[in-house]
Amino acid sequence: MLNYIIRRTLYNIPVFLAIIFVVMAALRVNDPVSAQLGKNAGPEQIQLLTEEMGLDKPFYKQYGIFLRDLALIWKPIPEREEGFVEGDWTRKETRSWDQGLPVSRMIGKAIPPSMAITIPTLTMSALISICVGLVSAFNRGKTVDRTLMFLAVIGMSISVLVYIIMGQYFGAFVPGRMVDGWPFQVTVDASAGESAFFFFNPVNWVAFCMLPVMINVVVSLGYDTRFYRAVMVEESAKDYIRTAKAKGASTTRVMFVHMLKNAMIPIITRIMISLPFIITGSILVEVYFGIPGMGRTLISAINAKDFPVIQTFTALFTALFIASNILTDVLYAMVDPRVRLS
Amino acid sequence: MLISKRVVALGLAAVCALGSGTALAADKEDLKVMQLPIRTDGPKSLDPVEGSTTYDNMACAQFYETLLTNKYASPMEMEPLLLTEMPTTADGGLTWHFTLKDEVYFHDDECFPEGKGRQIRSDDVFYSLKRLADDEHKLENWWLLADTIKGFDTYKDEQNAAADFDYDAAVEGFVKISDLEFEIVLQKPVYRFLYILGMFQTSVVSREAVEFYGDDFAEHPVGTGPFILDTWTRKQSLTGNRNPNYHEVLYPDRDEWSREDKRARLHRAAGKQVPFVDRVEFTMFIEDQPMWLEFNAGNLGYSQVPEDYFTDAFDRSSKELKEEYLRRGMRPHANKLLDFTFRGFNMEDELVGGYTAEKRALRRAISYAIDLDEINETFYNGRRIVYDGPIPPGLDGHPEGGASAAGARGRNIAKAREMLAEAGYPDGKGLPAIRFYTSQSTINNAVSELVKRQLEEVNIKFEPVFMDFSTLIESINKKQAPMFGFAWSSDYPDGENNLALFYGPNEAPGSNHYNYKRPEYDAMYEQVLTMGPSDERTAIYEKMRDMILDDCPYVGGMARERFYLISPWLLNCKPTERYYGWFKYLDVDDSKRE
Repeated sequence: MLNYIIRRTLYNIPVFLAIIFVVMAALRVNDPVSAQLGKNAGPEQIQLLTEEMGLDKPFYKQYGIFLRDLALIWKPIPEREEGFVEGDWTRKETRSWDQGLPVSRMIGKAIPPSMAITIPTLTMSALISICVGLVSAFNRGKTVDRTLMFLAVIGMSISVLVYIIMGQYFGAFVPGRMVDGWPFQVTVDASAGESAFFFFNPVNWVAFCMLPVMINVVVSLGYDTRFYRAVMVEESAKDYIRTAKAKGASTTRVMFVHMLKNAMIPIITRIMISLPFIITGSILVEVYFGIPGMGRTLISAINAKDFPVIQTFTALFTALFIASNILTDVLYAMVDPRVRLS
Repeated sequence: MLISKRVVALGLAAVCALGSGTALAADKEDLKVMQLPIRTDGPKSLDPVEGSTTYDNMACAQFYETLLTNKYASPMEMEPLLLTEMPTTADGGLTWHFTLKDEVYFHDDECFPEGKGRQIRSDDVFYSLKRLADDEHKLENWWLLADTIKGFDTYKDEQNAAADFDYDAAVEGFVKISDLEFEIVLQKPVYRFLYILGMFQTSVVSREAVEFYGDDFAEHPVGTGPFILDTWTRKQSLTGNRNPNYHEVLYPDRDEWSREDKRARLHRAAGKQVPFVDRVEFTMFIEDQPMWLEFNAGNLGYSQVPEDYFTDAFDRSSKELKEEYLRRGMRPHANKLLDFTFRGFNMEDELVGGYTAEKRALRRAISYAIDLDEINETFYNGRRIVYDGPIPPGLDGHPEGGASAAGARGRNIAKAREMLAEAGYPDGKGLPAIRFYTSQSTINNAVSELVKRQLEEVNIKFEPVFMDFSTLIESINKKQAPMFGFAWSSDYPDGENNLALFYGPNEAPGSNHYNYKRPEYDAMYEQVLTMGPSDERTAIYEKMRDMILDDCPYVGGMARERFYLISPWLLNCKPTERYYGWFKYLDVDDSKRE
């Protein structure tokens, strides 16, 4: 298995490099200098900033420097001796153009708040939608199934933004004015301070994260339920289910032991695909509820044409996606003895 | 299963909420805390020389101070802040004499020996101004002092060319008399110089802090301001605690307030030392809904009224605050901004640019065909002020009643057709489509559609090109946009700032986005630069204004009026966007919180 993981990782290195190459090239179609400067920018200032950003260098150098800095992001930069002259390849800290902060620090601070939203969301939506999918598949064609699928389609058809706006209004603002001590807040306020782990305190999590998580779960339920129902329906038509029923296994046992176990491959695939989003966060929810997570950081970086942040984010996302793909294959082998890694 | 999980979740929520309320209450016990919004993702830097946006200004002004500032009661006027009196001059504005207030200390910070902030000195002022010339800060705000102080431009060029920027090297125009007294000698009398000394980019910083924090100085403000930074979570929040060693700054006297201000009880703290609150907490809002809901929930001291929520709070036709808000003790406040929004022409463009009679006629035809009043009524509830010329209302040079005979104000279809014929395109025949570059937004898209419809009536084909704001700036800077939508907010309350937009040497990528070049205009601009307010200067402003209107390098303009609502618990609040050092005057009355 270790050999397999190493081999797959090596195979994916060119993919990783190619994705970064494409993203860096695509970003450079636009000139980010104007976005960073004030309204009174002159030619001298534009020139200075272009040099400062390294955009005056040929693309291959920019690409090489970014990859080098990415690989060494964990390693502190040594103190320069007096009289040290900087060259094109002198290593500098990768800092956000917009914020001036080291990108590693920005991402490090943004991951925990995102995880406070995404981990409960993923867990709850997976659990609920698998159960609903099972119930629906088991009652295929009956009123229960039709009602659940009708609700799922309605849920899918409504824009995420509507859930967020309505959820914020009716879930936090209106009851907050009517009920003293209502637990959910409209948005994160300044009391959150600078700690990246503020939302890991249960009290704060309930106040600021629980409503966004509930909204996220409702949004994803429609899609997930339909998917899991389709998987379960396929399984429920198989011979082993009929056999289990014939042997007198209870409905619960048939559903949660036999059927669920055999449907694990698509379930794992679905969950593993979602794993990178645990880190990358959800943009709209973070923007509206003021969660200082990865989604909010990314959208601000895109608006400000902050290339170092966008590129590092892309690299992180790509790496996570590759890792989750490899992990998925490993899990396949673990849950299904017929799958052999070679 | 689904229901039971939700019940458990809600139960957990309710239990935790009890703890939450208690914990939050305990934190703020006995402190006067003021919660305010920043309507965007906030400042990008807390280093004054690297700031340029309103939000950089709003944040920096809480921690740093300038030599001069705007008056809170009448923000168009200036007053000393770090000085004992307004700077004086004995030679007609060439040499300015400054005396710093005694007993003004930097915030206590670990960058100082024993963590104790030291007194500010003349050298701190020189050092802070020299930072504007250091290209390490990308010269983002060098334009403020370029060609202004004697020897400063040479100093900038020499130091930036040298291996290390020497802050101890002398500048001819910086003359130290003592630790608290100094003079600044200008190249020529430049009236706007005093306004520049009130802009946050010229705030006084401590050299110790800059050197101690290095690259991270932008997040460790050590100034003399009324608040000391507590936390700054980028794009999220900014908090500050009261500076216990703040120098003597008193709330404006009773007689400084207008009758209307007195009716709003703004004079009640007259003569008292500021700041009044122990802590200020800014929350940043990228979207309007959360800000508006937080304000309505009573959690914010004031709020701008976003366009989409205007009719929630105000009657659409009378613009009066609705009964519901009045009952809750909310107070409205309207601010006329020094704004100039326009649709500009690139004067170097082959189709719409140029100074010949035909080219001028084409631009005037477009201007006559566009109905700004219809745009104002349709999209802004009639709350924008339409006016001729680039000088916004309230400043010398603004035309009486907002209209000038030299303008080509629409809508005048007959004149538009006449001008089109004069331009060589009778009834629009043979005129290629005019490409209009503008930033992508719901409202810009809709306004462009309306303009398109208005121009179609005289057979002018109008082709909007939507792009993000930075691409728009880039296109304008590279002189690629034949016609473009843009806006300018005055940096200081003097028409000269807006007239500079048409000064030839400021052509793109400078602030003259129109690339307008008239030698006689440039000569007049150079003349007014050295003049203080006078009838003579106003006459020249008017002449310059009418010259621009006649050449018609833009269609417009409009000025915005910003509406605010103030919570009953926030006292002394008169929001202004002229400067942001006024938060220190605010107070809170917790008994009035809902």
